[in-house]
Amino acid sequence: MRLLLVEDDRMIGEGLRSALRLDGHAVDWVRDVASAQATLASERFDLVLLDLGLPATAAPGAETQPSGGLAVLRELRARQDAAPVIVLTARDGPGDKVAGLDAGADDYLVKPFDLDELGARIRAVMRRHSGRVQSALQVGGVTLDPATRQVTHDGVPVLLSAREFALLEALMQRPGALLSRAQLEDKLYGWGEEIESNAVSVYIHQLRRKLGADFIQNMRGVGYFVGAAPKAPVDHAPPPKPAP
Amino acid sequence: MNSIRVRVLLALLGMLAVTALVMGGLTYRNVLTETEALFDYQLRQMALSLRDQGEIAAEQAHTLNDEQLDFVVQIWTADGRIIYPPRLRSDLPTRALLGFADIAVQGKTWRTFSVATGERVIQVAQPLQVRQQLAADAALRSIVPLFVIAPVLVLMLWWLAARALAPLQRLTDGVRARDEQSLQPLPMDGLPDEVEPLVGALNGLLQRLGTSLGAQRAFVADAAHELRSPLTALKLQMQLLMRAPDDAAREEAARALTAGIERAARLVEQLLTLARAEPGAPAAPHTRVELGELVRGAVADTVPLAHARGTALALTVDAPAAVQGDAAALGALVRNLADNAVRYAPRGSRVELKVFDDAGVPTLQVDDAGPGIAPADRERVFDRFYRHAAGDEPGTGLGLAIVRSVAERHGATVTLGDSPLGGLRVSVRFGGHAASA
Repeated sequence: MRLLLVEDDRMIGEGLRSALRLDGHAVDWVRDVASAQATLASERFDLVLLDLGLPATAAPGAETQPSGGLAVLRELRARQDAAPVIVLTARDGPGDKVAGLDAGADDYLVKPFDLDELGARIRAVMRRHSGRVQSALQVGGVTLDPATRQVTHDGVPVLLSAREFALLEALMQRPGALLSRAQLEDKLYGWGEEIESNAVSVYIHQLRRKLGADFIQNMRGVGYFVGAAPKAPVDHAPPPKPAP
Repeated sequence: MNSIRVRVLLALLGMLAVTALVMGGLTYRNVLTETEALFDYQLRQMALSLRDQGEIAAEQAHTLNDEQLDFVVQIWTADGRIIYPPRLRSDLPTRALLGFADIAVQGKTWRTFSVATGERVIQVAQPLQVRQQLAADAALRSIVPLFVIAPVLVLMLWWLAARALAPLQRLTDGVRARDEQSLQPLPMDGLPDEVEPLVGALNGLLQRLGTSLGAQRAFVADAAHELRSPLTALKLQMQLLMRAPDDAAREEAARALTAGIERAARLVEQLLTLARAEPGAPAAPHTRVELGELVRGAVADTVPLAHARGTALALTVDAPAAVQGDAAALGALVRNLADNAVRYAPRGSRVELKVFDDAGVPTLQVDDAGPGIAPADRERVFDRFYRHAAGDEPGTGLGLAIVRSVAERHGATVTLGDSPLGGLRVSVRFGGHAASA
């Protein structure tokens, strides 16, 4: 998944970025209100981790504002952007929690937190966001459990790398939806990470080898999908064939 | 027994008793003197009235013989023969001294008045004891009301004292009903003038206590809040270390964890330094401190950081300047100024520290080439935990707060300005506390 991390503390930011990357997420990290707003206005993220105490700008001399993160959140929601947001904060008063949730946060985590709990909350928020009840994703004979990070094919466990897992998860979250190569790259790489030119093709190839050649389907020149063919016709995609 | 009420009552009771005794005594004496005069007058009038009577008639004699009558009349002829009473009484004075006289007969004293006319001598006598008894009775009757009024007065005094001390009682109840949270001022209305200054002083103390308590609470809350960030980082770094998939990642995680521990340790150390420099903390003894030597020693601790950042640290001591102060606290002041300058200055730039004597005022000046501080923010940067935007070298937000607290304890002033190096100039002037050389 592609995550935006908004956190002004260098050590916490670095630690979180490393941890989330270990889980196979693509992480972008900004450290002030202005950068967060600019990034959210121009790019799409699967989830935002938002610290509340943020400086307004990256300029030296800018003071950390206790509710800088709330401004980011309010602006995001004012644009009707429904991207899931988990607020991270050092403030644990009920007033702060209420303010954060009312401003449009999906969940709330008080520092210092546990990485396992953060992972569970990210999964829970994503599950609710996609309207699913169960944590595990299932398409055809393939089951992917984001919590245990286990993938089975016809009941047989399949071993995947973090990037393979992330790519498969992105596809399985919306069965039937077409994801372009660029969209998939976004899910795999954060800013500043070097993208190998044919990385997506390589991972798709490996996934097909492990899960069956026809599990991930390709719409040439448009992108990849799993499960039933896309229902909504895409501009240059052929009309769906009637079911036999 | 330290009750004002009881003490006042006892004192008043004592005074009342003395007053009653003195008044009783005086009244007794006065009444005695007055009755003496009255009785003497009666004696004299009686004697004189008998003188004008000639012979004493039978019925008169009978009257004079009345047992109820204290007066005893005796009449003699000029040659000393008794005319009246017919039978001489042995318990009566037998001699007549003209005018008033006290005569003792058989252990009994008589008051007599005798008058002589041609052929007779008339003596009227009265037992002195009777006169004194009557006088004493009169005197006693005149002071009895005093003893009746005294208990009533005591009760009234008791009640008055209770009423007068009621505001104190209310005050006591008011103070007793409070806990350590309720420090609002005590009500001042309806208080007697004698108690008002006490309550005023108490309210002043309560206000100072409240301010100090509030500052302490804010400090602890701030400190706890500020400790969260380093602890969050530590927890993350620890979990990353445990999850590290390979040696390279493990090494990186361990390095990050070490940096996190150093940061937390530094914050705790700065908090301790600030707590020691805050107003109200016990003061360390002041000694004569050579400013140049102190700065040289303190800056040595910043040299590794400056070295790591390629920043040149220059120290100039123009003139020997000595101040009176706590060397450890002053060292913390210098260290924080030098540290801030190096942290905020660009890598590879120059930081200058200068000690000089400015017209008799020992002064320390620190210049850097950093971003400086906008004039509008120059007051607020001294607030604790006020922090500039996240830089690569995160500070604790306590450095300038420590500098100001230490400076204030030494009667020194800290001013922020623009430096010729392009950044911030901090001047610490030890005015008024210069040690005599």
